[in-house]
Amino acid sequence: MFSRTVRSVIPRKNCKATIRLCSSGEVKPGGDIAITKIPLSKSVPWLSHPVYASSAKHRNETKVTVLENGLRVASEPKFGHFCTVGVVIDSGSRYEVAYPSGISHFLEKLAFRSTQNMTREHIMGTFEKLGGICDCQSSRDTLIYATSVESKGMAEAVSVLSEVVLRPQLLEEEVTDAQMAVTFDLEDLQLRPEKDTLLMEMIHAAAFRDNTLGLPKICPPENVLKIDQSMLFSYLRHHHTPSRMVVAGVGVDHDAFVEYAQKYFVEKPAIWEENQNLSSARTIRVDNSISQYTGGIVKEEVDLSDVSLGPNPLPELVHLVIGLESVSHQHPDFVASCVLNMMMGGGGSFSAGGPGKGMYTRLYTNVLNRYHWMHNATAYNHAYNDGGLFCIHAASHPSQLAELTQVLTKEYATMVGYMSKEELQRAKVQLQSMLLMNLESRPVVFEDIGRQVLATGNRLQPQHFMELISNVKADDIVRVAGNMLRSKPAVASLGTLTQLPGFSDIEAALLDKNGYMPTRKRHVNCAEL
Amino acid sequence: MSRFIRPAGALLKKYSNKTALVKPCRWRATSAAPSYEQTLLNVPPTRVTVLDNGMRVATEDSGTPTATVGLWIDTGSRFETDANNGVAHFLEHMAFKGTSKRSQTDLELEVENMGSHLNAYTSREQTVFYAKCFSQDLPGAIEILSDIIQNSKFGQAEIERERGVILREMQEVESNLQEVVFDHLHSVAFQGTPLGRTILGPTKNIKSISREDLVEYISTHYKAPRMVLAGAGGVDHDALVKLAEQHFKGLGMQYKGEAPEVPPCRFTGSEIRVRDDSMPLAHIAIAVEGAGWADPDNIPLMVANTIIGSWDRTHGGGAHNASNLAHAAVIGNLCHSFQSFNTCYKDTGLWGIYFVCEPLKIDDFMYNLQSEWMRLCTNVTEFEVERAKNILRTNLLLQLDGTTPVCEDIGRQMLCYNRRIPLHELDARIEAVTSDVVRETCYQYVYDKCPAVAAVGPCEGLPDYNRIRSSMYWLRV
Repeated sequence: MFSRTVRSVIPRKNCKATIRLCSSGEVKPGGDIAITKIPLSKSVPWLSHPVYASSAKHRNETKVTVLENGLRVASEPKFGHFCTVGVVIDSGSRYEVAYPSGISHFLEKLAFRSTQNMTREHIMGTFEKLGGICDCQSSRDTLIYATSVESKGMAEAVSVLSEVVLRPQLLEEEVTDAQMAVTFDLEDLQLRPEKDTLLMEMIHAAAFRDNTLGLPKICPPENVLKIDQSMLFSYLRHHHTPSRMVVAGVGVDHDAFVEYAQKYFVEKPAIWEENQNLSSARTIRVDNSISQYTGGIVKEEVDLSDVSLGPNPLPELVHLVIGLESVSHQHPDFVASCVLNMMMGGGGSFSAGGPGKGMYTRLYTNVLNRYHWMHNATAYNHAYNDGGLFCIHAASHPSQLAELTQVLTKEYATMVGYMSKEELQRAKVQLQSMLLMNLESRPVVFEDIGRQVLATGNRLQPQHFMELISNVKADDIVRVAGNMLRSKPAVASLGTLTQLPGFSDIEAALLDKNGYMPTRKRHVNCAEL
Repeated sequence: MSRFIRPAGALLKKYSNKTALVKPCRWRATSAAPSYEQTLLNVPPTRVTVLDNGMRVATEDSGTPTATVGLWIDTGSRFETDANNGVAHFLEHMAFKGTSKRSQTDLELEVENMGSHLNAYTSREQTVFYAKCFSQDLPGAIEILSDIIQNSKFGQAEIERERGVILREMQEVESNLQEVVFDHLHSVAFQGTPLGRTILGPTKNIKSISREDLVEYISTHYKAPRMVLAGAGGVDHDALVKLAEQHFKGLGMQYKGEAPEVPPCRFTGSEIRVRDDSMPLAHIAIAVEGAGWADPDNIPLMVANTIIGSWDRTHGGGAHNASNLAHAAVIGNLCHSFQSFNTCYKDTGLWGIYFVCEPLKIDDFMYNLQSEWMRLCTNVTEFEVERAKNILRTNLLLQLDGTTPVCEDIGRQMLCYNRRIPLHELDARIEAVTSDVVRETCYQYVYDKCPAVAAVGPCEGLPDYNRIRSSMYWLRV
């Protein structure tokens, strides 16, 4: 192609990159101006006009191939000159019951370090050369290694991924570095004014007490020095097996992708298979227990009166999360629970930006617009393979904590009450647009493919969910909300908790038709006791 | 689907070495793929049409079911005076508060019911209103944008209410120390010029800006030739041009009196220290005068920036960092984080670094930083330049993921360059940067130049200005 000519005539070692060739190869009049001297507002005369692609609307389809060792390979074509490829693994803090909690947190920090056949420098160099980036994220039930590289570098990216996932060395100094990084993470969590991550830990611990999804995702401080190489390898050997993995790609050719996955993930063994001595001899089986929703309360009394990092004081807040049992993402009621989440909506009392951010959702119209002492109120719906958690997170000054609790229980109670047609329709449309808008981004498509294939073996296209959403009826919402309200509440609270009502009062309020606390006076007394 | 309700994940948004530029929004050029063939095949063209009234319509149609459309206007706080500083930003707030056609509630409900998002932001040189929606709702979105731009009511009650909101926003901005430091940096670097003012304006102005100020500002600056209607995602160019002709034909292209001038903004090497020993960490920015938007020197300056890179201590990897400064930071535990930046304006810019560190480490960090800057000006190596070029290209390219980033890219480039730089051209421009080009450019912009310095927090340990200045050159060159 022509571009090759242009690129080759740009002298790499010569500072005055004088271009003397034009498209037909002869000397161009005035071609003495170096490209580095042409204003960005002017086009470069000797570059030819590029031929662009048109927006041919191809139908997207996710192809899935299962390799002989059980590894699933899934991919989808996509417009653009980059591809995202990665590995989604059925691993994460929910499986850490027999290990010191924090293994996944460490694995996240140890990703893309030295491997059996590649040094860290080599891996980073490869990504730089391919024009790519890499990332590892752990959540409660999945560990994701992913990279985005220019499409032509797909094969190399798969090869690096296989090294990183199956053949990491986890050298002693790397584990030490990870300990440091984890410690900094923990310090940061305490220092940061926003407490969402900590509250998410607490509400999961309350909802799934001492089991699976309730296990800590953030490494507890006392475990930082406990975790070592052999423990990490034992975990990897049992959890990072081919049948628990999906190799997913977006913007790749499926057949070629499968071929490389076969070459690097199947034909080359994992480091812990080759060298059994790396992991401890003790066999710890994968924890296959199904998550048990327990409900309950987790509270932490801390002084948050001075959280600001700068000269401007931030308001002192107390945080409260009330959660109820929701459904798994495979449950028929899952989509309805998402619509309900959308209908509750919410956000910060101070929202920058314009309309479209859910300013007519219930937590705005009924809560934030009405009670100006409320700092924020947001609904979340966490769905996992075998369970779910619906919760509302809110914050206010500690002196308002009792009222705050009452406001939330009232909102919960009215979920089974009347809802207008417009309100439901709006929630459905907003859920649809949020789904499609999120899927504009290639890494989001990648994650969606990986998670769906991991859970079910195939991937449903967004269109399918668009239809499911439009079929949700008011009755579905009431049914879903009613089921939630019959579960025992999970409560998490952080800050100055003198005004926090007792757990039994919150429980009683959620069972009350109007969401009222038993009696106002009594709970104040209870709290003082 | 399990993460249905989750906002677009942060996965893969950043380069793992965290070398992303600190404020990519300020200079986010288009991107380039090293292989020309790939570019040929995989990117839709950017089509541009100029309407009769001078308004430009620019689109990239990727055929997705969602789209982003918006107005990019060549105006911002730089076009204000001391008396009305803050009016551009005030206007952004008032845009969603009702028009002659629809009340605030009607507007909000209409947007919410469509599942769209309406957004606006003001910078020193640009004002932006955009909508994100389903592709089939584009006509509605354009109609709403045209309505809020041309028919806003500016009711007295709404103005009064918005003052409170803006003052609260000011508090939020002031609790973000990076923003505070950058405002201080502008106030000294561009002292006595419009770029030295803040975007929000002083409290006094926020409390006094009147309906007349708003109307006056609109009639002076919201002119069709200074606007770009940009679209990305599922947008049909011809349909968008038709919609624009229909809805924006009322926009004027002539000024009542003289056309407003844009006086050049002078850079002054200077410093400001806001010492507060009760704060745990010092937040410091130091910058030299950079290049204007269209200046070709921006490319080597950005490469130089990438060589310095960005780092923060929660990022693992120990001492194995390609950036020398990050390496030094790890070994000496010199700082909590640093980010290099290149902020551009029409005729000037700021090129520098922002860092956060412990009070007693400032001096050591400054020493390492300035040594590194001097190295860029004197003996930067081909190896690190090649490496930085690749990373820069990747960073620029990967940002263009989704309809909104693409639309922002189109709008901004149309205002800054009056065109969108084709991918293969940017590729060629980055490719042409060699270590000699980087060295010469840095020598021109950094070497023996007076920097602007802004420090907030326990900054007693920051060397005095003359010492900082005397580290901007080497006696042995």
